[in-house]
Amino acid sequence: MADFLVSIRYSEWVLHALLILPLVGVLPVLMGPPALAKRLALVVALAEFILSLGLWWAFDQMDGGMQFASAAPWLPGWGIYYRVGLDGISLFMVLLTTALMPLSVLGSWTSITSKERGYYALMLVLLTGMLGVFVATDLFLFYVFWEVMLIPMYFIIGVWGGQNRIYAAIKFFIYTMAGSLLMLVAILAMVWQIGTVTGVLDFSYAHVLAHANVVHTIAPWLFAAFALAFAIKVPVFPFHTWLPDAHVEAPTAGSVLLAGVLLKMGTYGFLRFGVPFFPEVAMSPVVSNLVIVLAVAGIIYGALVALVQPDIKKLVAYSSVSHLGFVMLGIWAATLQSVEGALMIMISHGLSTGALFFLVGMLYERRHTREIAAFGGLARVIPIFSLILTVVALSSIGLPGLNGFVGEFLVLLGSFAAHPWATGLAATGVIFAAAYLLRALQRLIYNPLEQPENRSLKDLTPRELVVLLPIVAGIVWMGLYPKPLLQRMESAAQRYVEYVEVGRGAGPARSGVAIEPVDARAEP
Amino acid sequence: MRPIDLATPLGATWALLPEIILATAAMGVLLVVGWRHRSEQDSRLAGWLSLGALLVSGVGLMYVWTEGLSPIGLETMIAVDSFRYAASALFLLFSALTIVLSLGYLERERMLAPEYYCLILLCTAGMMFLGAAVDLIVVFLGLEVMSIAAYVLAGYDRRSIFSAEAGLKYFLVGAFASGFLLYGIALVYGATGTTNIFLIGAQFSGGQIPVLGLLGLGLILIGFGFKVSAVPFHMWAPDVYDGAPTPVTGLMATGVKAAAFVALVRLLMQAFPGAESVWQPIIGTLAIATMVVGNLVALAQRSLKRMLAYSSVAHAGYLLVAVWPGSRAGAAALILYLLAYGLTTLATFGFLAALGRRGERDVTLQSIAGLSRNRPWMAFGLSVCMMSLLGFPGTFGFMAKWLVLSSVVLEQQWVLAVVLVLASVVSAGYYLPVVMSMYMKEPAGADVHRDIYVPGPAMGVMVGAVGALLLFGVWPSRVIAVALRSALPLLERALTIAGS
Repeated sequence: MADFLVSIRYSEWVLHALLILPLVGVLPVLMGPPALAKRLALVVALAEFILSLGLWWAFDQMDGGMQFASAAPWLPGWGIYYRVGLDGISLFMVLLTTALMPLSVLGSWTSITSKERGYYALMLVLLTGMLGVFVATDLFLFYVFWEVMLIPMYFIIGVWGGQNRIYAAIKFFIYTMAGSLLMLVAILAMVWQIGTVTGVLDFSYAHVLAHANVVHTIAPWLFAAFALAFAIKVPVFPFHTWLPDAHVEAPTAGSVLLAGVLLKMGTYGFLRFGVPFFPEVAMSPVVSNLVIVLAVAGIIYGALVALVQPDIKKLVAYSSVSHLGFVMLGIWAATLQSVEGALMIMISHGLSTGALFFLVGMLYERRHTREIAAFGGLARVIPIFSLILTVVALSSIGLPGLNGFVGEFLVLLGSFAAHPWATGLAATGVIFAAAYLLRALQRLIYNPLEQPENRSLKDLTPRELVVLLPIVAGIVWMGLYPKPLLQRMESAAQRYVEYVEVGRGAGPARSGVAIEPVDARAEP
Repeated sequence: MRPIDLATPLGATWALLPEIILATAAMGVLLVVGWRHRSEQDSRLAGWLSLGALLVSGVGLMYVWTEGLSPIGLETMIAVDSFRYAASALFLLFSALTIVLSLGYLERERMLAPEYYCLILLCTAGMMFLGAAVDLIVVFLGLEVMSIAAYVLAGYDRRSIFSAEAGLKYFLVGAFASGFLLYGIALVYGATGTTNIFLIGAQFSGGQIPVLGLLGLGLILIGFGFKVSAVPFHMWAPDVYDGAPTPVTGLMATGVKAAAFVALVRLLMQAFPGAESVWQPIIGTLAIATMVVGNLVALAQRSLKRMLAYSSVAHAGYLLVAVWPGSRAGAAALILYLLAYGLTTLATFGFLAALGRRGERDVTLQSIAGLSRNRPWMAFGLSVCMMSLLGFPGTFGFMAKWLVLSSVVLEQQWVLAVVLVLASVVSAGYYLPVVMSMYMKEPAGADVHRDIYVPGPAMGVMVGAVGALLLFGVWPSRVIAVALRSALPLLERALTIAGS
């Protein structure tokens, strides 16, 4: 496989192709007949997935820097280039995105009945936007992708969403924009400041990272601006209030992508920019304690609120707040295990929560209600659905042998030494997760079959199985044999830990030893 | 580079070529209109002739620009530099777009007095003089030529009481503002004995400025505050913008405002570079007040036209942010922002004119509900405009706002930068509902938007402007380079004069 990829010079064009292909697909989707739109979108999304699969083999797991890197001038006078690259952190985010996208298109097959062309065109734009966020290695380009991606999601929620969709769409948009505009000021300030000291005006990630200590006088402010943007996106408690609205009102595929990919942009932002740029600030006792308190608060708060939700979609939405708290904890504990664990949770949460949203959507399509109380005894009527729901719920709880366990275990293991109390409290989140998910599971599929409407429910169609089975396969594979994933993320995670160590140890005068040779490689 | 001697008639003619062409053509159009001023055809003829006049003047401008004239000695009345050319190009562009938008509009609204187009040409000539002036007297003359034409244009719809109100209000407030400006000019003259801004700048360059000069500067700033509708001198703007015929509103919000900004930035950078410590806090305060008030009040508007009027006040705030640094980056950002804002605003007013079949004042969020159903391209175009006004990546508005932001961040002026982005977030609260209403609300009836008619020329303007917004949003390096180059002489001149 690797030889084949080298022979077609895969690594030189793959990222560009991934970014451009969906945009090329937009035009035929918009112009063609409405009935063809979803098929075209599916073809494009599948092509993207197949294209991105090569990354798995072409990726050099010993290299912790940016691979597949290339650049083209955009606003060269300002040091702004179209720069893309991929490391062990973004690799999995890209694969997760490209894997969820064809499933989302297929999952929308029957539920989206109006304005199909617009919907699928927006899905493709969203795909480019999401991938762009993960592969951009130029701060300006990153910001542009980060913002542009809002538009398709805004429309997907606002046009095809539920009852309260307009409110949810605007709230989602304004929350995210408020955070990110301050980040824009911070990016500008940082690059200018570095530019005046080094004499090189350059928005490239490598350049900014290498000279980030130049701005240490204003670093707390800059970090605050970055952190706000990412914290809203994650969302870190108490910035989470947009999430239940957006997730619940969005159409199924929108929720899947929101939970599966968009939330990860926040944690990705912390891993890529927030912490490595300002390790002294991020790991200072005040900030570090604050983040850990908020992360644990999010874990427990999300779980408790999920426990009392009568609506399953809301339950799943709040469970995201809880899971992402683990990721934050792992990022801040900053040991190799905890960071790898955080990455594993990011992937497995994308799969399990995505699958949960799909299942909720399928149930909703059948019964037009999401009230847990309206169901019961589904196992007898729709056994395949119930089986898959059980597997997915167990993976979300973190049952050993399924994917959720690996990440949460690694995070708890890696965080315990540094933050025993916080880790202990976080561990209760796992118990709460079992409480709310098992209780919901029981009320949905095990209790007596009382409602007459539920007797005539139809089990999963082949199309729905095609959506769900790949995810279930992924869940089981990640749970049983996570080693190939862990291997690929190790050098990048190691690199992250080194940044944090340098920040913790050496103080403002950062030693260049660990960083310089790496940057030479990362420079496109 | 071609040296010209401005003291000779030939040199002065070269330096003033675009203005001379335009003014002469305006007289020519007035003559034609004197014979033909009755029917729709006459009105249209005057419109096309005026458009031709702008075009010829634009060709003259391009010739002068590319020729690279360099004056021998000091410019006494009119700047001969690329900043003036860039600004003049903006004014010509905005006026041309306004005229094209007016072509169908005047016929629909039965405003068949073709003198309208002569007034636009004269207004444009005024803008060009104002933007070019390096003498305070010429500043005043240009301002008056521009404003008097604009007063008449604002009240042009004789049957509309709102238009009459707009004309009168604009006139009264404008006269008031001119008074301030003139008094300020007189005081500065008293302090320095000259009205040439380079000579004033040379006298003030040491940083020691007499009280008389400071007082003059303050009064001049108040005068310009009125003209650019900065809070707290903005009270006239919403009523005037709301009442004036829509294309005229477009011109007032873009060209007239742009000319005042260009003159302001030239004045501050060349006549008062030594007084930065005085005017920067004033401009900064005005900018913050304008951004905050403009955006917050716009949130509460129901009528789209009124919302755009307040949004235009808010944008004056962003432009003041670009004035604040008094640097090359700031001036370039100003030029670029004026272009982006002007294109967006004119296209938006074009859409508004098309939507306002029963008067634009009645176009509300409700009346455009579900526009995407029957008029998908129109909804798309208006959405792009809204995103550009919001300053969203992918549109020209973002690139322009980004430059404005850089110009203050470069000076480490964090307060203005943060207020600017927070104000932009607030502005999402009124730009997004427009998009939302068009795409996410159901239309009031199946055929409710079917009767929208867009005249061909206006359609051309909208398509062109929206295309430009998207094009420059993705590929702005050329325009940015032009803006940066054009802003260079502002500082160079000031420095050489101060050094000599």
